[in-house]
Formats: sequence, C-alpha cells, structure tokens
Amino acid sequence: MIQLIIGQLLNGAIVGSLYGIVALGITLTFGITGIVNFALGAFMMLGAYFTWYGYELIGLPYPIAVIVAVLLVATLGLVADLGLFRFTRNNLVNGLLVSIGLISIIEASVLLTWTSTPKDLSYVLPGSLRVGGILLPKIKLAVFAVLLLVIASTYLALTRTWIGRAAFAYAQNPEAAALMGVKTNRLQTIVTVYSTALAGLGGALYASLYSLEPTIGAYYVLKAVESAILAGIGNTIGALVGGIIIGISEGIGSVFLPTAFRDAYGMLFLVLILLFKPSGLLGSK
Amino acid sequence: MIIRHLTRALCAASLSVAGGMSLHAQEMVKFGELEAQTGAINTYGWMSSQGTRLAVEEINKAGGFEVAGKKYKFDFTQVDTRGEPREATVQFRKMMEDKVPFVFGPFLSNIFNAIRPIAEQNDGKFLLMGGATSEHDYLGKAGSSYLIRTWNWDAGPEGFGTLMVQYIKKLGAKKVAMLFQNDAFGKVAVDIYKKIFADAGIELSVDMFEPGTKDFTSSLAKIAATKPDFLFPGYTDAILYDIVRQSLEGGYGAKFFIVRGSIGPALKNKDQIEDYIAYVPKYFEEAEKTEPAVKKFIEAYKAFYKRDFPYDQAPLCSSSCYDHVYMLVEAMKKAGTVTEVAKIREALSGMRYSGLWNIKYDSTGEEVISFNIAHVKKGGSVEVQSVDPTAK
Repeated sequence: MIQLIIGQLLNGAIVGSLYGIVALGITLTFGITGIVNFALGAFMMLGAYFTWYGYELIGLPYPIAVIVAVLLVATLGLVADLGLFRFTRNNLVNGLLVSIGLISIIEASVLLTWTSTPKDLSYVLPGSLRVGGILLPKIKLAVFAVLLLVIASTYLALTRTWIGRAAFAYAQNPEAAALMGVKTNRLQTIVTVYSTALAGLGGALYASLYSLEPTIGAYYVLKAVESAILAGIGNTIGALVGGIIIGISEGIGSVFLPTAFRDAYGMLFLVLILLFKPSGLLGSK
Repeated sequence: MIIRHLTRALCAASLSVAGGMSLHAQEMVKFGELEAQTGAINTYGWMSSQGTRLAVEEINKAGGFEVAGKKYKFDFTQVDTRGEPREATVQFRKMMEDKVPFVFGPFLSNIFNAIRPIAEQNDGKFLLMGGATSEHDYLGKAGSSYLIRTWNWDAGPEGFGTLMVQYIKKLGAKKVAMLFQNDAFGKVAVDIYKKIFADAGIELSVDMFEPGTKDFTSSLAKIAATKPDFLFPGYTDAILYDIVRQSLEGGYGAKFFIVRGSIGPALKNKDQIEDYIAYVPKYFEEAEKTEPAVKKFIEAYKAFYKRDFPYDQAPLCSSSCYDHVYMLVEAMKKAGTVTEVAKIREALSGMRYSGLWNIKYDSTGEEVISFNIAHVKKGGSVEVQSVDPTAK
C-alpha cells in the first residue's frame, strides 16, 4: 500500500506539472492584462497537434518538433493578441468572451483539418525506470524535468531580469510603472505571447504522453484555472504547486475512492483551501 | 387566345414536371444512415459509414436493383451525429419527417437511448438497423417492430462474450479486472459481463473512469494491487492505446482482454504485452488472403476512397455496413416491395447471407454473425480462431 501511495504521489506530481504550466500562463496573463484567458487550453491543444504533425507526419526529431510547435503557437498567440486581446485589456468580461470565442474557432479549425479521430504519437522515449520498487515511465520523468526547468526559469526571469521586474511593477501599479518608463503595451503583448508559448509547450509535451483529441484543451484549462486559484492568482511558483496539489489529490483520491469521481477530488481540495484561505494557498491577503 | 395557349402550355409543363417528379420518386428508395463519423467515439460509426456508402455507390452505379419488375436506386443520406445525443435527435427527427423507410445506425448506445422515443412514435413506418448494445433490451418487444440489431450479442450460449470468457478460462484466468468508461455503454457492459464471468466461475472486479480521462495510472495501480490475471479495459481505441501503454510502462499488467476495440494497441506494444485477446469480427489481414469476397471489398474500398485500407477499423464494418446494404436489397427483392417494411423485415429474418461475413437474424431481430477471436502474443504473432454460429 505504501508503494502504491508513493507511486501515486509521484505520478500526481508529474500530471499536476502539466496543469501547472498552463496555470502559469493563466496567472501571468491575468496579472498583466487583467484577462482570464481560457483560450490557453486551445493553444495547448494546438501545441500538441503541431508536435504530432511535425514528429509523426513530417518526421522531425521530437525536440525539433516541440520547438517548431511552440514557435508556431507563440506566433498565433501574437496574432490573437494584436487582433483581439489588445482591445479587451483590463476588461475581464470582454476578455473572457473573446477567449471563449477563440476556443470555438481553434477547435473547429483543428476538427476541420485533422478531424476528431484521436492521434497517437510513436513512442518518443520508451521504457521505465525502477525507483525503489516503483516503475516510472522515462518519458513522464523527462516531461516533469522540462516543466520544472521552464517554470523555475520563468520565476528567475521574473525576479532577476529588467523585464520581469517591470512586469511585477506593472502588476502592482500600472500608472507608476508607465511613469518609470515601462512600455506597458509591449509588456502586455510579451506576456500574452509568452503565456501562449507556455501553453504550446505544455501541449507539445502532453503529446508524448497521451493520445490527442481536439477537446483536450478544455479539460486542461479548467484544471489550470483550479490550480491557479488554489495557489493564489498571480503567484508564479504557486501555479506549479497548485497543479501538483490537484494532480496528487486526483491520484491519491482515486486510490481510496471510486475513480469515476476523480475530478471531484481536486475540486474538493480547492473548496477546502478557499474556505480557510480565500486568497489561495500561497496568495497574499 | 394567346393567354389561353400560354395557360395550357403552363398547365402541361406543370403536369409533366409533376409527373416526372413522381416517376423519379418511385424509382428512388430513401435510405439514411445515422452514425458518429467524427467525435471522440467515432470508432463506432466511421467504418460503418464508409462501407455503407461504398455499397450504395456500387449498387447505384450498376443501375440499381430490381424489385417486382421495377428498377430502383438508393436516395442515400448520411448524417454525422458526432456521438452527441442532442445532435442525433434533431437529425433523426428530420429523417422521420422525410419519411425515410430504412435507417442504418446507431452503433452507440447513448444515441439509441436518445432517439428511441421518436423511433417508437414511428413504429411500423420504417426499419432501424443499428449495432447499439442498448437496443438488445427492446428487441421483440411491443412498439419496437422497427428495430433490428446488427451486431451479435455478447451473452447467451453462442454470444461472443461468453465464448471469449471461456477462451481465457482455458488460459487459466481466475481473476479479471474490468476498467470501463462511466457512461451508458460502460454501465450496460458491466451488467452483461458480471453475469458472464460469474457463470464461468471467474472473479470480476469493476472500476469505472470519467469520460475524458487520459491518465489511468491511479486506476491501474489500484487494480494491479489486487493481482488480476487479465485487465479488461474498454471501449474505444483512443482509450485502449492510453490504457495499454500506461499499464505496460507502469508494470501494472501485460495481459489484456478486449471485447470492444481493435488489436492496434497490442501491435504497437507487441514486445511488452504477454497476451492480448480481442473480439475481432474479422481479421482482415488474414481473410484477405483466403476469402475472395474480402479481397474484392478491400480493392473496391481502395479504388473508391483512393486511400489505404483501414485494416484496424474494418472489423467494425460488421455492423450496419457493406453486407447489410446488399442484404437489405435481397430482402426487398424477396419481399417484392420497397415500401412495406413489415414484409421486408420478415424477409430479412428468414435469410442467411454470405458476404464479408455470414449473417442471419434470430427470432427477435438480433444479428447472428461469424467472427474471430484474435490472440496477439508477445512479439506480435496473431493467432486467429474462427467461430460461425450462423452455421447452426
């Protein structure tokens, strides 16, 4: 039983880090543009499909397929920002409506192009490693390592670089930041594009783990929003922590309770946290 | 005078157009198909749609078919339900308003459950020929004379499920773990197989997961702790690919028992699996070499669709598909009518058809069909066992 629980703790952390990468995009976008961008789930799905296309159909090596997919998704993120989100900044409702409309457009485009028949990648990194009697798939460990690295790098970039400090300054006081020379429009565009790139990366890594369908984004963006709220919106590392907590709650909950209600276990944890700490686990009051 | 001539000419033209239309309508037999061609569970519908269209095109291209001395062609409409009951209900209602007398599909239980009230309202006016498992409960019941089930039943002495459970019993299975999606078909499947396994003296545990689940690790780990001899997952290839992979990578089990789904997941993981036993209505890769009808079908498919033959999906042409169109035509010829559905149903009931499959219907209107049990072994070798309950 102990082995089973430890196995689920590790698996929950790995699955949760995928929620975390999308949650990070959500928390960054919200902090800088005032928009809860639900379309990040659709961008994640696009990242997954672009990777599948590059790796499986064109025959690119997997890392190259991932880089190309992330660049393509980031470009689409830029187009979406310049064409749509630029006009909804700091307007929660309009931003939400635009992002929901964008989900429909992206999902319909993928359906039209690749149909809804599930796609499955050839194994990128087959085999498992045995750690203390527990078998862990190599690809899951690799994905986890990449996600941790990206989230840690994002945290360092936000705290140690000029643009990161500018983003923090803008999130705290937009007017003061503008007066200090922060080019707010450019900053907002950079953050939006970076968030879509993160979602694209999440999708590209997801493609190496699971089969693809056009609706996967909707599932992951909800988990990501849950993770971001659980940790406290605006907290970079919290996004990862929130994702991991949700992932572990689902994994451990499914061991002791019926798997058919798996999604409810993460949600229950979220409700409990918010009851006692409404600003989220790591959020400031 | 001119006005009178013009009026006569207009009347004559109108009459001839109307007459032409009526003559045209008499030559066409409306035929509809209601299947999921896209969507997450389009496995159950896509191949049926492909095979049905191919048969209809072949028949119409050959000049149609003759019933009671008159030539007919099919006026064929295919709709894509995407596996969504609401969408299917709208599409099916329109078919009934258009007085379509023959409808193929649905293969999905959730779709059948949704359209059943409309179908019952139109009982006696049309035939619905679908493979949905939930149709079984209504066969032969009052108000369901419209219903013909075009897939063989899992249970019963000749049911493929019963025979497959006996097959794994011979391999020494004492404990099996079922991992199915928590939806309409999943629940029906649990009810069916609980009894089959109990009758065979094999212990069955059941775990269900939410639709949309992609990571099955926690379920698999929980199941593995009970040490089952076989994992019995279902029920679409999209799910099976993920479950088989995660089960093998996590070391949770390498023996699989499949009653809905292809052997594709086994072949993809051929070096890791131990045993993968699947109900395969027909193993086309082998049948192509030995059965001329199968070879002809594969060639016709490639020529018509101009693409590779989908060997993994082709077994699902066993429900409301290519053979069934030709069978319907034979039944219309035998009944001497294209409109009296009761007579056509009766003709179908008394028929044994040999095409890609050997097919007949039992007294309730449920299909009895020849099938294969495929046993994929470590390394990818496939052992095929043929069963033909229609020969009895």
